[in-house]
Amino acid sequence: MAVTEQEQTNLVKTLSSELGASVNPGRERRLWVEINPANIVDACMKVQKIGFEHLSTISAVDWLEEGRFELVYHLWSYQYNTLLSIKTKIDRKKPSISSINSIWDTYAETCEREIHELFGIDFKGNKNLIPLFLEDWEGPPPFLKDFNWREFTMKEHYKEDNPREKVYFEVKK
Amino acid sequence: MTSTGKKFDESDFSMFFGPAHPGSGNFSVKVDMRGERVLKATADPGYLHRGFEKLMEYREPMQNAVISDRVCVLEPLQWNLVHAEAVDNLMEYDVPERAKYIRVIMAELSRIQSHFIWYAVMSLGTGFMTGFNVSMGYRDYILDVFNLITGGRVYPAGYLCPGGVRKDFPENAEKKILKLLDKVEYMRKFANKENLAWLARFKDIGVITKEDAIKYGATGPVLRGSGVSADVRRDDPYEVYDKLEFDIPVYDEGDAYHRFRVGMEEIEESMKIIKQAVERLPKGEVKTPNLKPIVQFRKAKGETYVRNELSRGEGTFYMVATGEKTPYRVKIRGPSFSHMIPILERLLTGVDYADVPAIYWSLYQCPADVDR
Repeated sequence: MAVTEQEQTNLVKTLSSELGASVNPGRERRLWVEINPANIVDACMKVQKIGFEHLSTISAVDWLEEGRFELVYHLWSYQYNTLLSIKTKIDRKKPSISSINSIWDTYAETCEREIHELFGIDFKGNKNLIPLFLEDWEGPPPFLKDFNWREFTMKEHYKEDNPREKVYFEVKK
Repeated sequence: MTSTGKKFDESDFSMFFGPAHPGSGNFSVKVDMRGERVLKATADPGYLHRGFEKLMEYREPMQNAVISDRVCVLEPLQWNLVHAEAVDNLMEYDVPERAKYIRVIMAELSRIQSHFIWYAVMSLGTGFMTGFNVSMGYRDYILDVFNLITGGRVYPAGYLCPGGVRKDFPENAEKKILKLLDKVEYMRKFANKENLAWLARFKDIGVITKEDAIKYGATGPVLRGSGVSADVRRDDPYEVYDKLEFDIPVYDEGDAYHRFRVGMEEIEESMKIIKQAVERLPKGEVKTPNLKPIVQFRKAKGETYVRNELSRGEGTFYMVATGEKTPYRVKIRGPSFSHMIPILERLLTGVDYADVPAIYWSLYQCPADVDR
């Protein structure tokens, strides 16, 4: 089942020419590629045809200093036994990207729903972006790097005039 | 399938399956019913959302090792291992051979006890109480060994830590593990033949095809029950799995019964792995020599994506390090995330309500790793 070195080089060549970006091998059986966010649906469709048919998950990383969100699509190929991670960066102020639900249907939608809830990223074409884990949540998306959860909890759930909770405010001062 | 031509019927109603249903386990499904038929099912996760991914951004790797137990209550040692491997990768630790074998033995024992729980909840949910009692009883023998080795019955508190394992095996641990396998063998035989009338009710329900299983992100026994021969231990080997011999049970039918069979047959394969690993267990250190009490995580830079075969399927850690003492971002993928939301919603559409528990438990749920 192991993929030979020759097959691996051929795979990297095919992927590079299909995606129009340089594919970098990481450690064993790992490939990384960075593409333009406008091409994400197209790229996923192409690599799915090549054999990367299992969407492992979608991760989001909040690069606060750079002012951008990074989305990483982890795809596994049962045929080549290789993991391809497609990275793409979008603007942090108006985060929006096309949904890949045309390829992985409700599973992709659920992954996107989670990211929408925790990072506030909008997925165009996904009509099912309703809350997943958080119920009655009215604050900002909680996984953002500039969301100070300690302050938020203090403001929302503790009262200084409550004798039992006064101590939290004293510690802060 | 009920005809859905009529928009409204006087027998239409909605209700919740769980979270208070015995054994549904902190997870609920809203089902729209017409008489006894389910028209639509909507999964409602979030009862166990503890925000581990965010918590881990505020803690150092050794503290995170303890948190990683809690990702799934039923297979804590395996989640320990995924986290440890992610840190090992970023820190480029050279884990000693003995530690690798100990990790494999513990992970496989954890897989067996998790499959026993599967047998137990399947029987609890569908009214075969003897099965529940016997299975949970035999699981306790394994927990006793965990107690001896890790110091905790259910939660090992970061036993499989970055750089190796926290402590070497105590005296006679290998003998006790081999003796334990006799008990496991008894339960395995019990699970194969008991109870035929009860097992018959899982046949031909909750069928998922091979194409759909891949499309909806199924892994582990659910994927193998649908005819795809895929196992991370063989396809993307970690630790010493490439040196050990084991088979991968696969069935083409894709129904609840065959998913369950895959799981029960994996017990035998895990026993084979444990026997080989105990036999070949080398002597030596169990921690990487340059490991300090606090992992020097400032040295790590870059990102890693680690996949492991857990009892329920593919469990992964995506970890990004930027030279701070805590990880910059951690993303955990639990195997039940795809099984319990898209696949469950799809399989429950149009079934009889009496089949809901059988399909629900045949997906081998763990609400804790859906919510994280």
